[in-house]
Amino acid sequence: MDPVGRLYLDAVAEDSPVPERSLRPQLLAGARARRRPAAATVSWAAPYAGRVAALDALLASAVDDDWSRVIVEGGTLQELVAHLAAKDGLVAAAVGAPVLGPPIGAGDALGRTAEMQAHERARSPEQTRRDWRAQADALCRHVAGADPDRIVSAGGPAAPVRDQVLARGLETWVHTDDAARIAGLRLPHPVPEHVHPTADLCARLLPWTMLLSGLDGTGRTLRLTLTGAGGGAWDVPLGVEDPPGGPIDAYVTADVVDFCFLLGGRGEPGTVAAELGGDVGLAGDVLRSAPALSGP
Amino acid sequence: MAAPNDDRLLHQRVVGGDESALGEIYDRLSSLIFGLSVRVTRDRVIAEDITQEVFLIFWERPLAYDPDRGSLRAWLATIAHRRAVDHVRAEERRRVSVLAPRLFEPAPPRLEDTVLDADEADRVRRAVRRLPEALRAAVELAYYGGRTYRQVGEELGVPEGTAKSRIRTALRRLAEDLAEQEA
Repeated sequence: MDPVGRLYLDAVAEDSPVPERSLRPQLLAGARARRRPAAATVSWAAPYAGRVAALDALLASAVDDDWSRVIVEGGTLQELVAHLAAKDGLVAAAVGAPVLGPPIGAGDALGRTAEMQAHERARSPEQTRRDWRAQADALCRHVAGADPDRIVSAGGPAAPVRDQVLARGLETWVHTDDAARIAGLRLPHPVPEHVHPTADLCARLLPWTMLLSGLDGTGRTLRLTLTGAGGGAWDVPLGVEDPPGGPIDAYVTADVVDFCFLLGGRGEPGTVAAELGGDVGLAGDVLRSAPALSGP
Repeated sequence: MAAPNDDRLLHQRVVGGDESALGEIYDRLSSLIFGLSVRVTRDRVIAEDITQEVFLIFWERPLAYDPDRGSLRAWLATIAHRRAVDHVRAEERRRVSVLAPRLFEPAPPRLEDTVLDADEADRVRRAVRRLPEALRAAVELAYYGGRTYRQVGEELGVPEGTAKSRIRTALRRLAEDLAEQEA
């Protein structure tokens, strides 16, 4: 803002009348009606609820053309939203939450996505948006009373409910960022309290991404340092059955959001800004295999 | 000029659907937004509506704001100012159209990232020139020269506290002077 504009605002602020009554309660009620806040849920599901609210805000700005534009992997925005609803629905089914849309025929991500996309194709983008949001909020509400440590399978590897929901948050985040880029908008990062548990999930997935890439990290340990708001340091045993506490063999330092996106299938393992140390061959293997779990 | 970190965090929270962040932004900026709207519209009821609307627009479409391009305060003030000016123009048009049919609709105002149009900025600059010398010098150094309170004090040979209080006095005088001009 130019200096004169700033001067004017500061002068007005020095000498501002206040409204006769507080407009705050009215404002918050009006806000709720215009755009639904993040679903109220437990703290471990809040990162997911926050990403759902962020995508919904992006969709609120979408115009007709945006919905038919190709976002990623050949899918339109409407198909992308249907895809997210499909995978949210599989997690909902796994935890006993209401499943919206057509009854689940295919129990795997690709099959369920095809079902949801076929179902939504006959509907308007606005209906698809509402269906997706209703499914996501139903899941948030249900898990508020669920055991986060119960192991469930939702069309993929079995994992605790907490991790299933965090993974939904990561995928919703990555796809929202895809859509924002196409729309020429910059998506701000989630708050640090939401980034951190997502990064923690990504760190714990590394033994699995190694294994899926045909690499056995048994007996080796990585010190992972993630920088930026919500980051931290993790000592990650690289074998899926390794106990924690082994000596550190290799070091990786990277930006926390870059790292989460790498696990989410965005960015190139070879070009992501990362410092490697110790057994750099092992550290490189970890980075190269990081996207292995990201699928459609 | 990029936004301060507070603004970034509040923006992140609003994008993530955290309504308490909207409440915090309201607590911090509503009196400025309301004051700005009252100045332009000279109608407290209309100004209340505009104030509400400004915060609702931000809540509904938070991605329209980019913290890399400026502060939240400037962004909301720009929306408020534009809305208030639109209201005044619509009122003028309504008054004019009962008196005489119009041949041409005026062009819609250009959307700019500024709270003031050229005429208004001129009025502010003139009001600055009318300030007593000591106040004028302090304001010019701080705003046109981008100096800190401490630097203003050093250049004027007064303590930092004096520089700060001169600037605040100047801001209040400016606000009063501009309000008189508007009335």
